[in-house]
Amino acid sequence: MSHTAGVQTFADEVKAVPGGEHLELCYSCGTCVSKCMIQQKVEPDYNPRRLLRMVMEGMEEAAFTSPTTWLCSECDLCFSACPQEIHISQVIKAVKELAVRAGYTSPLTAVTVNEDLCSGCGICAMVCPYEAPSLYEKEVDGVLDRFSKVDPNKCMGCGTCVAACPLGAIARVGVSNAEITAQFPETPKDAPTMIVFTCDWSLREAEDVALLESYPEDEVNVIHIPCTGRIDPQHALMALDSGVKGVLVCGCKPGECHYKRGTDVASCKIGLLDTMLGQMNLPQKQIRFVQIGTQERGRIREEIDGMLNTLTQSMEAMA
Amino acid sequence: MVDAARQPKIDVRAFTEVEKVEGFVGNFKVTLREKAKYVRADRCNGCGACTLACPVEVPNYFEMSLAPRKAAYVPMSQSVPLIYSIDMENCIQCYKCVDACGALEAIDFSQEDKLVEEDIGAIVVATGFSHFDPSVMEEYGYARYPNVITAMEMERLNNSAGPTSGDLIRPSDHESPKTLAFINCVGSRDKRYNPYCSNFCCMYSIKNAVLLKQMNPDVDITIYYMDIRTPSKGYEEFYDRAREMGIHFSQGRPSLITENPETHNLYVHAEDIALGRVTEKEYDMVMLNQAAIPQPDQNHMSSVLNVAQSPGGWFMEYHPKLRPIDSPTDGIFFAGACLGPKDIPSSVAQGSAAAARASRILHSEEWDIEPTVAVVWPDRCSAETKGRACGLCVKACPYGAVKLEGDKAAEIITAKCHGCGGCVAECPEDAITQLHYTDAQILAQMRALLAEKPEEKILAFRCHWCSYGGADLAGTSHFEYTANERGMKVMCSARMDSDFIYEAFRLGAGGVLYSGCHPQDCHYITGQVVGAKRASRLKKTFDRMGMTEGRFRIEWISAAEGDKYARVLNEMQDVLDNIPPEELHEEIERLKPEMSKRLKNFPGVPGVEEAMVYSDKLVKAITSQLEAK
Repeated sequence: MSHTAGVQTFADEVKAVPGGEHLELCYSCGTCVSKCMIQQKVEPDYNPRRLLRMVMEGMEEAAFTSPTTWLCSECDLCFSACPQEIHISQVIKAVKELAVRAGYTSPLTAVTVNEDLCSGCGICAMVCPYEAPSLYEKEVDGVLDRFSKVDPNKCMGCGTCVAACPLGAIARVGVSNAEITAQFPETPKDAPTMIVFTCDWSLREAEDVALLESYPEDEVNVIHIPCTGRIDPQHALMALDSGVKGVLVCGCKPGECHYKRGTDVASCKIGLLDTMLGQMNLPQKQIRFVQIGTQERGRIREEIDGMLNTLTQSMEAMA
Repeated sequence: MVDAARQPKIDVRAFTEVEKVEGFVGNFKVTLREKAKYVRADRCNGCGACTLACPVEVPNYFEMSLAPRKAAYVPMSQSVPLIYSIDMENCIQCYKCVDACGALEAIDFSQEDKLVEEDIGAIVVATGFSHFDPSVMEEYGYARYPNVITAMEMERLNNSAGPTSGDLIRPSDHESPKTLAFINCVGSRDKRYNPYCSNFCCMYSIKNAVLLKQMNPDVDITIYYMDIRTPSKGYEEFYDRAREMGIHFSQGRPSLITENPETHNLYVHAEDIALGRVTEKEYDMVMLNQAAIPQPDQNHMSSVLNVAQSPGGWFMEYHPKLRPIDSPTDGIFFAGACLGPKDIPSSVAQGSAAAARASRILHSEEWDIEPTVAVVWPDRCSAETKGRACGLCVKACPYGAVKLEGDKAAEIITAKCHGCGGCVAECPEDAITQLHYTDAQILAQMRALLAEKPEEKILAFRCHWCSYGGADLAGTSHFEYTANERGMKVMCSARMDSDFIYEAFRLGAGGVLYSGCHPQDCHYITGQVVGAKRASRLKKTFDRMGMTEGRFRIEWISAAEGDKYARVLNEMQDVLDNIPPEELHEEIERLKPEMSKRLKNFPGVPGVEEAMVYSDKLVKAITSQLEAK
C-alpha cells in the first residue's frame, strides 16, 4: 500500500484508463456482486467488489490474476444497480487492459477461425459485442487476401459470431453445429415434443433451471448454449425437420443480456424465421423466442406449459 | 400537542398555509390562508357523529392508505385541535353529516378560505420531511409484490391503534409472517436518488425489529445493511440488545428481490460481505426502509420565506456549525427535519433552541445589526436615471435585502442587510455604497499603501472572515513571507470591486491578490460565489491585456490556512522577482491606459475625487516629513 504523494499508484493507473475514473467512490456495499450471475453460476471467486478493493490497495498481481478481471462480460447489470454510479465493468476493463499490457492472458477459450474457409467478409467483426474479431491482410499464394482473426483477450465466448459466419469458418468449443445437432432427440414420438435452447444466464434461479430439467427428456429436450446469439435459424429448422413439434429459444430480457446484445441478435433472427415460415404457408408458432428477466422467477414453467398446450391443440386440430 | 394547544399564549392554526411573508426581524407581516373546513371551529365538539354518518370512504393518508377514512373526518384520533373537517373533493353532498350534527349546527357548507394578516416578531419553520417512494426502484418490486412494504406501512401495521390493531399481517394473504427482511438505505446513500444518509433509519429499523421480536419471539428478522450508524448516546447499546435478542444483521446491500408467483414469498439476493458470497434467502415479508426526502412543497416554502436551500432541497442553515438553526434571514429559525433528516431527540433539541432564539427577539425593544450595511444613492440607480433597473444588486444579495419595485430606485432593507457589500461592488452605476467600506475609504487606503515604489508591492485583498484570519494566523505563527505584501480588508470577497483592482494596477502595483473564503465556507452564504465570478472575469481581461501570469492571483484561503497565505504571497514575490525590473516597468506603463479606460466613471463616485486629492496631499506630506528626517 502506498499513499506517497506524487507516486503513481496502481489505483492512479486504473483511474487514468477511460472508465476507471470513479473507482474510489466504492463503499463496498456488495450490490454488484449479488446482481452479477458469474459468482453464482460459474466462479465462486468472482467478486467485483473485492477487485475494486485490490486496485485501491495496490494489489496489482492479485488483481491481474483474479478471475473477476477476465470473466466480466460487461453486461452492466451492476452499473444500473450501483448506488455510487460506478461503471464497474469499465473499471474491470481498465484493469484487464493493464493486465494485457503487463503480459497476462485471458483464461477463457476464444473462438477459432478456420482460415481455409474464411472469406474475410467481416460479419463476425460487426456482430461481436466485444470488438474481438478484426480483419487482417496476408499474402496467400502470391495473392493479398483478407482474413478474420480473434483477439483471445477480448473474446468472451458468446458464440454470436459462430452463428453469424455465413461460411461456418468460426468454431467455439462445446457448441459447434455438430455438437448441437447431436443433442436432438433420436426418435421423436408422435406426441407434443419440443426442444428448448436455453442460454446459460437467462434463468437466474437455480430452481428454475432444475424445473426445466425436470421435464421428461423425450418431451422437453433441453440444449444449453452460452447465449441465444449462438442460435443459427438452421438449428431450429433442423430440429423441426428431425420430427420435434416445437422449438423454444429462451434468452435474457433486452438490456440484461450477459453478452450485451446476443439476445437482440437472436430476437431478430427468430422473429424473421417465424415470419418466413408464415410466408411459406408453413404453420407458425412452432418456433418461439422468450426473453426472461432477472425478476421473472417461475416464468419458464408458464412458457413451457403454454407451448406444450399450443402444440397439443395444433396436433389435435391437424388430426 | 394537547398541552401546547391548552397554553393560553399558544395559538394553534391547523389547516392553515403561509401565503406571504414580508417585513423583517421583529416586524414580519405574514399572510395566512385559513382553509375552509366546512365545520365551524367554535361549535364542533369533536364528537365524531358526522364521521359515523358519512357514507363516503376514501384511502386514509395517515394510515398509509392501508385503511379507509370518511369524507367527514379528522386526520387522526389525536388531532389537535380536535375539529372535524369535510373533504370537499370527495364529499357527495348528501348532508347526512348535517343531520347527524343536529342542534350543534357546526357544519357549514358555505365556508370559504380566509386570508388573514398577522404581525409576527419571529418565525420558526418546522415543516418536517417526506418519504421516498421506493416503487421507482424496480429491483425491490415495491407496489408490484404485495408483501414488500415500506417502513411507514410497517409502522401502521404494528401500531395497536393502526388498521390491524397491531397485528402484523401479510398484505397478500393476511397471514402472520414468520420470516422478515428489513432493507436499509432504500433510496438513500444512493447517487441515483438521494446521495445523503437519512440519519435515523438504522435506529428505526432496529426499533421495529425489537418491537416485533418482543411481541412475537418466534419471528425471524434479518436486517440488511451497508453500515449500521449508531452515533448517539445509548444507540450502540440498543444495537447490541437487538443482536442479543436474536435479530440477524447481514452486511451487504440487496441488489434484487424476486417473488414466488404462487406463495408470494420473497427472495432477497445480496452479497454477504463477511463471507464474500452471494446469498438468496426466502422471506414471508420484506420491509424497505425508505429515505427521508424534503417536503414536496419545500421549494415553494423557500421562496415564500426567502431562505436558501442546500443541495438536495433541504432548507439551508446560516452556518452548519456555529448557527445551525438560524436562517440567513434574521428572525427566521428552523427546527427539525426541514433542515435535513433528523431523529426525535435532535428535533426536540432544535425545537427548544429555536424557541429560545425566537424569544430573544420577542423580548427586545431594539435589535443590533451589522454596522457595515449598504446604502443606495437613489439618484444614481439606473431605475431612476434610465427608467430600467438592471437588478444586479438583487442577484448579488444572499439575504433578499434589496427591494426593487417598478421604476423606483433600489432600496436596501437595512434590517435584512448583513453587510457583505456584494451589491455595492456589483452595481454598474456605483449607486450603492457600504458604510465604513466606501469606495473613497478603500481608495484612500490603497493610495497610501501604493504611494512609494508601487511596482515592488503586492496588494492583498482579504475578506474579513477567512483570508484576513489566514493572514493573521500566518503572522501569529511566525510564518515568513514577503515584506512587500500590503494587506487590505473588506468584509467579503464579494465587495472586492473590479474598480479597486484596476485602480491598484493603474497606480502601478506589482501584484494583486484576490482572496476570500473557500466556496461553501462563505460567511455571507453565496458572497464568495459573486466574488469568484468577478475575479475570474478580471483574470480573463488581464490575460487578454497580456499581463504576466501570476501578477493577479485568485486564492481561497481559510482562517486556518496561515501556511497557505504565506506560501501564496511568497510565490507571488517569486513571480515579480523573475521579471526583469525594466520589463515590469514597461508592462505597468503599457497597461496603465488600459486600466484608466476601465476607470472612466470611478472618479464620479461620491467622495472618490476628494479622497484622491486628500490622499495625494497626505502621502506627499508624509513622504516629505520622512525625507526631512
